[in-house]
Amino acid sequence: MWRFLWPPQSENPQPPSFQRDRFALLVALLTTVSAGAAFFLSKGTQFLMPGPLTSAHAAIGNCAQCHTQSGTGKLSWVHGLIAGNPRADSNACLTCHKMPATAFFPHGASFNVLAESTRRLSKVAATTHEPLLVRAQDTAFPAKDVIKSGLYCATCHQEHQGINFDLSKISNEQCRSCHVVKFDSFDGGHPQFESYPFRRRTRIVYDHASHFDKHFPEVARKDLAKRIPASCSTCHDSHDDKRVMAVVPFEKTCSGCHLDQITGKERATGPKGIAFLALPGLDLQTLKKRNAAIGEWPDASEAELTPFMKVMISRNDKGRALIKAVDRLNLQDLANANDDQIASVKELAWEIKRIFYAMISGKASDVLGDLNIGSSGKLSATLVADLTASIPRDVVIGAQQQWLPNLAREITAGPNAPDPQPAVTDREQGNSSVPITEEPPVSDALKPSAETGRKEAPSKEASKTKYDPPACLMRVLGQCLMSAGQENKPESAEAEGTAGDADGANGKTNGNKEKRSAGNLPEPMRAGLNGDEPAATSQMPREKVANQSDDLLQPTEEELREMKSRDKGGASASQTRGAAAQPNVISRPQAKTAPLISIESNVDPESWSEYGGWYRQDYAIFYRPAGHKDKFIYSWLFLTGPQAPKGDRSPAAAVFDFLTSKDAQGACTKCHSVDDIQGKGRVVNFSQPSAETKQGSFTTFIHEPHFGVMENRGCLTCHKLEKGRRYLKSYEQGDPHNFASNFGAVSKDLCQTCHATKKVRQDCLTCHKYHVNGVIMPIINTKIPMP
Amino acid sequence: MATSQVGLIGVGNGRTWRIGVRSVLQHPSVGAIGGRGLSSAGSLITRTIRVVVLAAISVGLFSLVSIYGYALRDPRYLDGWVLAGGMSLQLGFHVAIKTNKLSPKSVARWRKFHIFVGYLLIAAFLSHTNFSLPDAGFEWALWTGFALVMLSGIFGTYLTWSAKAKGIDDRFSSDPIPSRAAELAREVREVVAMPDPASVASALPAPPHDAWIADLYANHLKDYFERRRNFFSCLVGSQNALQRLTAEIDSLSPYVDARRQEKLAAIRNLVIEKDRLDFARVHSALSRGWQFVHVPVTYGLIVLSVLHVLVVYSYSSGGW
Repeated sequence: MWRFLWPPQSENPQPPSFQRDRFALLVALLTTVSAGAAFFLSKGTQFLMPGPLTSAHAAIGNCAQCHTQSGTGKLSWVHGLIAGNPRADSNACLTCHKMPATAFFPHGASFNVLAESTRRLSKVAATTHEPLLVRAQDTAFPAKDVIKSGLYCATCHQEHQGINFDLSKISNEQCRSCHVVKFDSFDGGHPQFESYPFRRRTRIVYDHASHFDKHFPEVARKDLAKRIPASCSTCHDSHDDKRVMAVVPFEKTCSGCHLDQITGKERATGPKGIAFLALPGLDLQTLKKRNAAIGEWPDASEAELTPFMKVMISRNDKGRALIKAVDRLNLQDLANANDDQIASVKELAWEIKRIFYAMISGKASDVLGDLNIGSSGKLSATLVADLTASIPRDVVIGAQQQWLPNLAREITAGPNAPDPQPAVTDREQGNSSVPITEEPPVSDALKPSAETGRKEAPSKEASKTKYDPPACLMRVLGQCLMSAGQENKPESAEAEGTAGDADGANGKTNGNKEKRSAGNLPEPMRAGLNGDEPAATSQMPREKVANQSDDLLQPTEEELREMKSRDKGGASASQTRGAAAQPNVISRPQAKTAPLISIESNVDPESWSEYGGWYRQDYAIFYRPAGHKDKFIYSWLFLTGPQAPKGDRSPAAAVFDFLTSKDAQGACTKCHSVDDIQGKGRVVNFSQPSAETKQGSFTTFIHEPHFGVMENRGCLTCHKLEKGRRYLKSYEQGDPHNFASNFGAVSKDLCQTCHATKKVRQDCLTCHKYHVNGVIMPIINTKIPMP
Repeated sequence: MATSQVGLIGVGNGRTWRIGVRSVLQHPSVGAIGGRGLSSAGSLITRTIRVVVLAAISVGLFSLVSIYGYALRDPRYLDGWVLAGGMSLQLGFHVAIKTNKLSPKSVARWRKFHIFVGYLLIAAFLSHTNFSLPDAGFEWALWTGFALVMLSGIFGTYLTWSAKAKGIDDRFSSDPIPSRAAELAREVREVVAMPDPASVASALPAPPHDAWIADLYANHLKDYFERRRNFFSCLVGSQNALQRLTAEIDSLSPYVDARRQEKLAAIRNLVIEKDRLDFARVHSALSRGWQFVHVPVTYGLIVLSVLHVLVVYSYSSGGW
């Protein structure tokens, strides 16, 4: 071999090519040596680089950043010759260019989307003529062979072609190689559009036809001051997102006519607020007859158990079972209920009491943070704040004071309290809004125990078990002057007077007979309590409680007269509903006391909350929507929607159904459509379509460049209003893709008037994009500098 | 193919002699050098067909590469392998020649094929480089190597074509050229100096025809026969010098008698033969010279190409 390459000199005359061949071998050797020298003297493996990277990648100095198998050594690039993971280099691209898990699927779309598209387009392909070149290509180099093994980034994006090379460039023919429907150009075989641009119904339920023909003329007739949209651009603009003709904010368009529907001003019947917390009306007679010890309960309540309370009660398995058991019961008629159902109703009553107690003794967020909807863990503080619309504690306390004045005693005594019979509270229902209801003294007493309980946990005083005060027998200006049972235990009060100042108001009604620890309390009530401390040590003499009343809060003579007259007036003076009708039910002394409202007002609580907020009426605490984008309604819909598939009977679905019903307060879904998402419940479309919501769309259209070529008919040039379509009807069901648009589809011929050969560009990428789910780039991975 | 057979009988230096001017085509010592032959209709058709086939295959290759690229593949792999395959064929031809495994007839046939494939490889190369210049060091080395091989090959093809046009066949050897050139110079001198037997016999003063021919020799032919002709005029096949001399001879011919006209015709043939001899000498030098570029650079290019293929597959990211 060597002799063949380098024949020896001989005495015989050599052929003329002898010297040339020797020179050729020398050149080959020299080339090898030169290439090797250049390679080893150059930086890294740059010598082997076939060409400069595009300017966007020019900063990449290390080949191994993209060519993952090449390594960083001088000769480690030979590792690339050994078959490795063919997708490794493409995965390296994704370290900077974030893409979904379907990145290597055609178009980065999911399998289902591709399968659906293929199925749909196969029908079109059957009627489309396939160009000869395409057939030749399919025969010679079928693209499906490439796709079968998976698409790599380098399939389309081929680097090292120079700094100004357009990496995103892709030819029509490349697009065509994969596609089912094959044609030459847009004006040469592109299929007709199918109902473009409408892929789904509009998110906002807005019947253009009826507004143009009916509502706008009516409004203009009735009120000349109201602004009627003059042109499409009054309501639509594309300034923020050039792809989508967004609707301008509610305040600039719809509020003139629709704001009052949200706040409830236009509501003729039913409450204008949303019942959030309520004491549901119970069949107390039956419960008493069946020995169901539910403790104190107002018999005048005709309220329903609100869906929100159902969600709160259902936060654990026990609660869910409870709601399931009572869900189909008529709580106000339990005559036919069996023993299990009666037991469930009893448990429900106590659970409601526990919730009230917990919301007063702890924080609302402690109760609502563990709603356990959709197993999503603890809710964030912001979401809880929205879910409660920052309900003031005093609202709950005020309600408790009126509805369940002995709640603290009952809770601490537990369901097996000495007095097991339902005690009817017949209290005057203050039809007043919270702000004018004066704060009862109990709240003062509760406040420190609840709020400071956690903070002062290490201290001795704070570690003592704290109980709610006894029921108030006499109340003046919201201060309890006389607690229930205090007259019965003067000695114990004397004996234990030093137990603690702060706990003075927390008397225990059954003396030393029961010793309860925090461990015995329901979970929401344990906040701030120390379970190890004997309850007896923190008991407060009843007399002491009375003695602690502030002199300033002593009733004046006038107030005492008023109280007297109230006592004489009995039930007639109060506005109770059920007490008079229930003469046989035991009426506790404390039930006769009622909060004193010193300022007369003819404004009912609902009207008082005209501009939104919380109010109490009858046996429910209501929230009145404050206006558009009300966070309370939004957050509940947001939270419950995914757990509320249509027809579901879960508590979350109950809330969602309640807030999206036809007559729901806030009337959100009058305009915001509700979509059924398969396997994901329902969603209210609060967000406008945007570039993000367009993700997954294969077609892209930018309105702005087309404004200049519109005819005199403006937007109607392309979007032809088609009256008489059953637009609103399509919103009666949940499938957003089953719809009838107000407007006719845009025809391909219309686009083709400009986008044609030798006119405006008509390549595939003019209207279509490849990465339908977008590519985020670059990803910032900067770590916070640490000292 | 010019084959003049001019018999010229002269008397000089006390002896009568006869010069037979034959075409150098048949000169045994030089090999075969003939005049420019007129292309026959057949060869023209053959050549045209060859060009058309070449163009068609090139267009076919470009189309194939485009279709390959349309089918989501990297077209550089296709034309790259076409290029590599073609180069391997060419190398095979070189090895076969070197090892003397081909008969002379096969060599001639393979040489034609070698040239044909060479032209196709130009198309493959243009496709592989995407009709653009490289922009990296290693790529430049490859590009330059191929360009040198390609250009030297084209030059060699040109030499073959021009030699054939001049009637120089493959058996041509350049070794006897200097002696033959000296011989031609001597022959033309003798023809010019050959006395006219008639004028020698006559006492009347003869017209100065011989003097005119002597002037022609002194002013135009002497240098022409004693020196080598310009390299580049031979390289480009320039006929200017030849045409100028033959024009001089032809312009003199009408003014001399028939006997001198024969003499001038003999001189004219010697001038033509000297022109072909000069071309043969240049052709011989260039034939050796271009292969000193073509073959060694090919060797270097093969080294770089192998490295190129290794690097490409090592760094491929799945695009092929």
